[in-house]
Amino acid sequence: MYIRQLKVERKLSIAASQQALGGQAKAKPKVKAKAKTKAKKSLKSPKGKVAAAAWSQSHAGPHSVYAHSKPRVAAVKESAKVQRPRRVREEKDGSQYKILQQTIQSNLECFLFLQQPEKAERLLLLYHSSPAKRKLLNVNAYNIVMRSWARKGCLQRINRLFSMLESVGLRPSLDSYAAALECMGRSQSSTKAIWRCVQQLKNDGFHVDELFQKCLFEEDEKEKVLRAIRIVQPNYQLPPPPNPQTCKSSLLQDFYSKEKLVSYPKLDFSVQELQERFQQQLELELDSTVTIESVESTKPVTPQAIKARKLLATLRSRWHDSILQALQKSKHNMSQLKTVSGYNILYPYLCLLPDEEYVGIMLQILNTFSPQGESLAVLARELGSKVYNRYITQRKLRSRQLEKVQEVYEDYIHLLAKDSQPDEYLPREYWEKLVAEAGFGPSLNLKDCSWPYMLLMRLGMHMLELLVQAVKVPRNILNPRLEHKLIPVLYHIYSFRSSWQVGLIKPHPIFSQIVSDAAETLLTFNSSAIPMLCPPVPWTSPHFGAFVLNDTRLMRFVDGAIQHQLLLEQCPPVNLHPVLDALNQLGNCAWKINQPVLDIIISIFNDKGNEKLDIPPPISEAPRPPAAPSNSSTWNKSQKQEVLLYKKKTAEMHSLRMDALYKLSIANYVRDKVFWFPHNMDFRGRTYPCPPYFNHLGNDVTRAILLFAEGRPLGPKGLDWLKIHLINLTGLKKKSALQERLEYANEIMEEILDSADHPLTGRKWWMNTDEPWQALACCMEIAKASRSPDPAAYISHFPVHQDGSCNGLQHYAALGRDLIGASSVNLMPCNVPQDVYSAVAQQVEEFRKKDAEQGVKVAQVLQGFVSRKVVKQTVMTVVYGVTRYGGRLQIEKRLKEIDEFPEEYLWEASHYLVKQVFNSIKEMFSATRDIQNWLTDSAKLIAQSGRTVEWVTPLGLPIVQPYYRSSSTVLNCGMQNLSVKNSSSNQKPDTVKQKNAFPPNFIHSLDSTHMMLTALHCLRRGLTFVSVHDCYWTHALTVDVMNQICRQQFVALHSEKILQDLSEFMLEKYCRYSSPVGKPPPLSFPPTPIPLPGVVVPRCSRVVSSAWGLLWREAVLPS
Amino acid sequence: MLAGRAPPGAAGCCRRFLAAALRPLLCGLPSCWATARRAAGQWPSPSLRVPEAAEAERLVQQVQRTGVPLRRFIACPQLARTVQRCLQGGASPGPQPVLLECAPGPGILTRTLLNAGVRVVALESNSAFLPNLQTGYCIQISSTETNFIQSLENSLDGQLKVIYGDFFRLDPLTGTVKPPAMCSDKLFETMGVAAVPWRADVPVRIFGILPQRKERNTLWRLLFALYECNSIYRYGRVELNIFISEKEYKVLTAKPGEARAYQALSVLCQIGCEIQLLHMEPWSSFVTNLKNGGLAVPKSMWLPNDHLCLVRLTPQQNLFTRGLKPTNSATFIFMVKQCLAKPKSRLTDRLNSWSLDNGGKLQRALEIPKNAETRNLYPEDYRRLFEALQNSNMFTETWFHDEVLESIRNINL
Repeated sequence: MYIRQLKVERKLSIAASQQALGGQAKAKPKVKAKAKTKAKKSLKSPKGKVAAAAWSQSHAGPHSVYAHSKPRVAAVKESAKVQRPRRVREEKDGSQYKILQQTIQSNLECFLFLQQPEKAERLLLLYHSSPAKRKLLNVNAYNIVMRSWARKGCLQRINRLFSMLESVGLRPSLDSYAAALECMGRSQSSTKAIWRCVQQLKNDGFHVDELFQKCLFEEDEKEKVLRAIRIVQPNYQLPPPPNPQTCKSSLLQDFYSKEKLVSYPKLDFSVQELQERFQQQLELELDSTVTIESVESTKPVTPQAIKARKLLATLRSRWHDSILQALQKSKHNMSQLKTVSGYNILYPYLCLLPDEEYVGIMLQILNTFSPQGESLAVLARELGSKVYNRYITQRKLRSRQLEKVQEVYEDYIHLLAKDSQPDEYLPREYWEKLVAEAGFGPSLNLKDCSWPYMLLMRLGMHMLELLVQAVKVPRNILNPRLEHKLIPVLYHIYSFRSSWQVGLIKPHPIFSQIVSDAAETLLTFNSSAIPMLCPPVPWTSPHFGAFVLNDTRLMRFVDGAIQHQLLLEQCPPVNLHPVLDALNQLGNCAWKINQPVLDIIISIFNDKGNEKLDIPPPISEAPRPPAAPSNSSTWNKSQKQEVLLYKKKTAEMHSLRMDALYKLSIANYVRDKVFWFPHNMDFRGRTYPCPPYFNHLGNDVTRAILLFAEGRPLGPKGLDWLKIHLINLTGLKKKSALQERLEYANEIMEEILDSADHPLTGRKWWMNTDEPWQALACCMEIAKASRSPDPAAYISHFPVHQDGSCNGLQHYAALGRDLIGASSVNLMPCNVPQDVYSAVAQQVEEFRKKDAEQGVKVAQVLQGFVSRKVVKQTVMTVVYGVTRYGGRLQIEKRLKEIDEFPEEYLWEASHYLVKQVFNSIKEMFSATRDIQNWLTDSAKLIAQSGRTVEWVTPLGLPIVQPYYRSSSTVLNCGMQNLSVKNSSSNQKPDTVKQKNAFPPNFIHSLDSTHMMLTALHCLRRGLTFVSVHDCYWTHALTVDVMNQICRQQFVALHSEKILQDLSEFMLEKYCRYSSPVGKPPPLSFPPTPIPLPGVVVPRCSRVVSSAWGLLWREAVLPS
Repeated sequence: MLAGRAPPGAAGCCRRFLAAALRPLLCGLPSCWATARRAAGQWPSPSLRVPEAAEAERLVQQVQRTGVPLRRFIACPQLARTVQRCLQGGASPGPQPVLLECAPGPGILTRTLLNAGVRVVALESNSAFLPNLQTGYCIQISSTETNFIQSLENSLDGQLKVIYGDFFRLDPLTGTVKPPAMCSDKLFETMGVAAVPWRADVPVRIFGILPQRKERNTLWRLLFALYECNSIYRYGRVELNIFISEKEYKVLTAKPGEARAYQALSVLCQIGCEIQLLHMEPWSSFVTNLKNGGLAVPKSMWLPNDHLCLVRLTPQQNLFTRGLKPTNSATFIFMVKQCLAKPKSRLTDRLNSWSLDNGGKLQRALEIPKNAETRNLYPEDYRRLFEALQNSNMFTETWFHDEVLESIRNINL
């Protein structure tokens, strides 16, 4: 029976694998394991028991050769069609299963890290011996235990584990053999034993070379394995590194073509200097936190503050001791605990670091408490992830991965340093080359060791409970008249928000009082919050890049979501090259601080702040608390209201103030340094700098203090660009052509120079602009440039911005080849900039007039109320898929703001207007709505069939929408039950979100693609380039070139058959065979209303000749 | 057809109200109330025609405009009679207080009540229903003057008054008061009801069906008003007769130990009022204003929810004796909510987590077992706990007050 089944299955699998062309059949170990577990029953051959023998035993016999080798072939092929069984499996298993499995593995990893193979094995046996629990184990779990024994050289134990694998019908994986061989290399086993092991490896369908190509090694594992291999094959040579592949995307043919290679631009640093900076960065990250002086430290210290600081110091040392005690006590209790499972699940995680480190983490959290408190869940996650990050750092140290990174990096900087030979490599290519040359040593990627989200939370909760328990303060510390009693510093309270409740931890007012009295001026940050002091490590894979030590993800995602990571892992590495190269390019831009502007900002910040200039005032500037009777129980309603308002205001002020304090303090910390922002991206490919507080995506204030570290002469048109940039920042002359803006700037030159020379004492022209701080910085730059003897030769570090206009609609207009639409969003050449919002308002007004004449009541009522302002938000959000429902609410809000508008018509009028806005947009962007509808419908069908919407950007980045029907698991913790949402891939997609978010996400993936294309081509032309989504920055000298590239790339991107490709991709992915989950979605591809690019070539070519209007300016600018 | 003294053309009201829908309708101010003229209970029975259920349904469907939230109506004359009997049942002899009917909609119950001789104030939030309520039998109140626009008015002698307003949007906390939202003092002034001391008899009775989407929220707001003697409760112990979903009724009346049902709301409601179940009616007996005529029965996972329950909530006469006062009741509410946020937590832990002083001693004094879980305490226990805490000055900790204030804001917004 079994055999017949097996045969059928094999046939099926072979057929499937042939269909799948067998290419890319390299399945992940996990995937394999799954496929295997499914097939395990059928694989239990009668000879299985005999095969329990291992190579070190003398009676090797015929053993498992047959039993293993044949099915192995099937399994290899099976991996090609692995998609299907896995899906079924996952559907069945539920998320609990996966979390448990992950938890077991990370627990085993802990024991491996702690070098406690006995404990690891005991845990494994616990599951292995119970038939029910055994299902949770896959071959990876066994491998981890094998590795811990291999490190000790205990071959016997590894043999036993092999037989255990055998007995449950699991097949050893490549990693199992790697562990065995490592152990043999370590313990000098006999040639015969090694020979047998290698033989069985081959019988299992593996190749010795694969060990070195696919396995990840730590410490000296690789050397030991090689040693073992060389005992049986003395002449064995490591397989040559795979030839670097080149991306084949047609959009980047030029970029990657070998003929047109140019050398990578050099930084203005010598090798020596870069090495020193790398050392600084490394030390920073090794400390994991950095404590810096805040910008407030220049204020004089009051005697009261000195007293409070002393008090705080004593308290802290007391708290340190009591936390340490509590931690040790709880660890002791855990280790004593004899539960059924024989161990406490959290215990190993509390042993990974020295106790002092846990205490340090907890004290650090205590220092950051704001008087308003913080939600339990946030605190727990933060504590948990801090422990995790330090553990990862420790692992990198232990596995000697860091050493290797250091070695490679030292060579790598030769690519960037000015005093070394120019090289025609991209950073990623160069890094890969160096790694390949280095050969030996640990792998740069760590084996997957992420902790399940639930575990992170549980660990965090445990630490939080310790903290709440242990930290106490004498009640009478501020008021000696009270009796002495220790009370907790932190208390736990619920806050009720309509139907749900949130647990908060709040500091006792006594504590907040001391902290505010002390006015401490030291701030502690995670080292990843500070910009890097050396060029970032280039991204070479989804796991590796950015910071030296801090774990950074290539793609940001919400906690617990793993779909993106899986997708990136499965994607052939070469497809990711363009994206990685673009991120490296953005991250390699060196920055410095605009010191004069920073000094002015700090002086205002340390004085009284200025809300109009976006410098948050200190709390001391808050309005006085309302005078009310001291006994608050007698307050009447209005007094309560007043107090509430006051409290709300101070809370807001506090958070704004802290945010600005962080930004300015970090800026001040790096004021004399050159620094870098490593980049990563969100799931749509939009790029972001990693350091969270201070970066160029920030507000006006932060942008104003950033300059390119590299300077370039202004060139002939640079000064004009600076002036135009200034006018753009003011928000004036929005409807004028560039030439007019330039003329206007020249007219007000006197004001500009006055602002630059006397920013705080002069006429303060700059203060009344849209972006005052950037305007001020620009004024200063213009003043310096215009006063230099030769402005064209003036070296400028100033970034000039070029902004897209309603960028989403630009992409829609180009996708749909809408001429009218295209010109209204400045995709067509035109003398003056177009304003799409006014155009829509105009169109709506026309419709309204017609209706009013025909006696439509609501149209008559609306006379004189249709304006740009009323429709703006709706037009803007049309791109992001706003529905009639949402659009109506937006318009209703605007109409409500108009006092004269009769309220009883609100609903009707907004309903009417949203209809007209949509009609107008349809008129102007005839295809936009059709494209949106098609995208929405497809997404709906896909989601309804139980799958998530996926697509691939024209640059090859795979994207999956991470929206699932949330199910939450309740974590039972002593203090409070935490409901944790989990969004693992086993869940059903959230149809509404999948559907509504698809059009905007798709458009965002296009705009990110365009940005990356522009970034890469700017690199080839030697430009400095950074972006804030659709706003591109470069030197004044190179604005014209950047504009040209930007336009070319927009045209190139939209000359691709984007929609057709999408349609084909979806048909292939979702409609090829009936998915086991449900019916295949009856997608109607290609959609009828979509004018496919090929069809409208004539119009297309017209658009092409003038597209990407953000730069129509160039044509108008005098040359 | 129309019996008795129905005004000419009343039969055509269904058609006429549509034309009249745009007539300016404002919440009224001046009162021309006929209380002085006639003693209650002496009304001649006008025996108005009560439309059949189908007719009422049609009316609801016609009136319904898009953008109006889900509402439930009494359309069936039989149900109306049941409700009328429930409302009148158990009434003490002597003059009866006026009955405020919230959101009467098609007015089936209104007519039934009038026929039974009850003095009714109809408070309707959808202006489209007003003409139907008014043209037939009632006064229309405008901002400038009170018009007795129909002869029926005089003959009914003010037995009915129709006001444009929304009971469930009384006394909004923020923003300006735009009709149909309104202030309770305006409402009571229009009704001609004056405030009476707390311990006095019920000054006014209110009937309504709680809007389903905000059911829980409305209950909380009413309770807050009750404990602080705000809003309608400024006028005395206003008696509420409300239809609420069965699951909420179960919560209101739950006893300690009833898992899932026993909540902070149970404690506060049981301390605050006497709860009487007057009647239970299946959901299907009511008409909704949904286009498809669906019932839109809210889902309930753990509690039975097959009926709407007519519940009478009469504020306790002795609520503000002992330690509890309208000024400190917010603290009491806060305490109960905190305790029952996690019903399985132990009271000791809760008290300790607020860094209150000697929780253990207090608990012993109150004879609450050391390991008692908060879900095991009776409402009266909470009241005693509060009084004890109040006496021991524990609530003087400033942070506790801040938290109470915070919680008020969160609930009222």
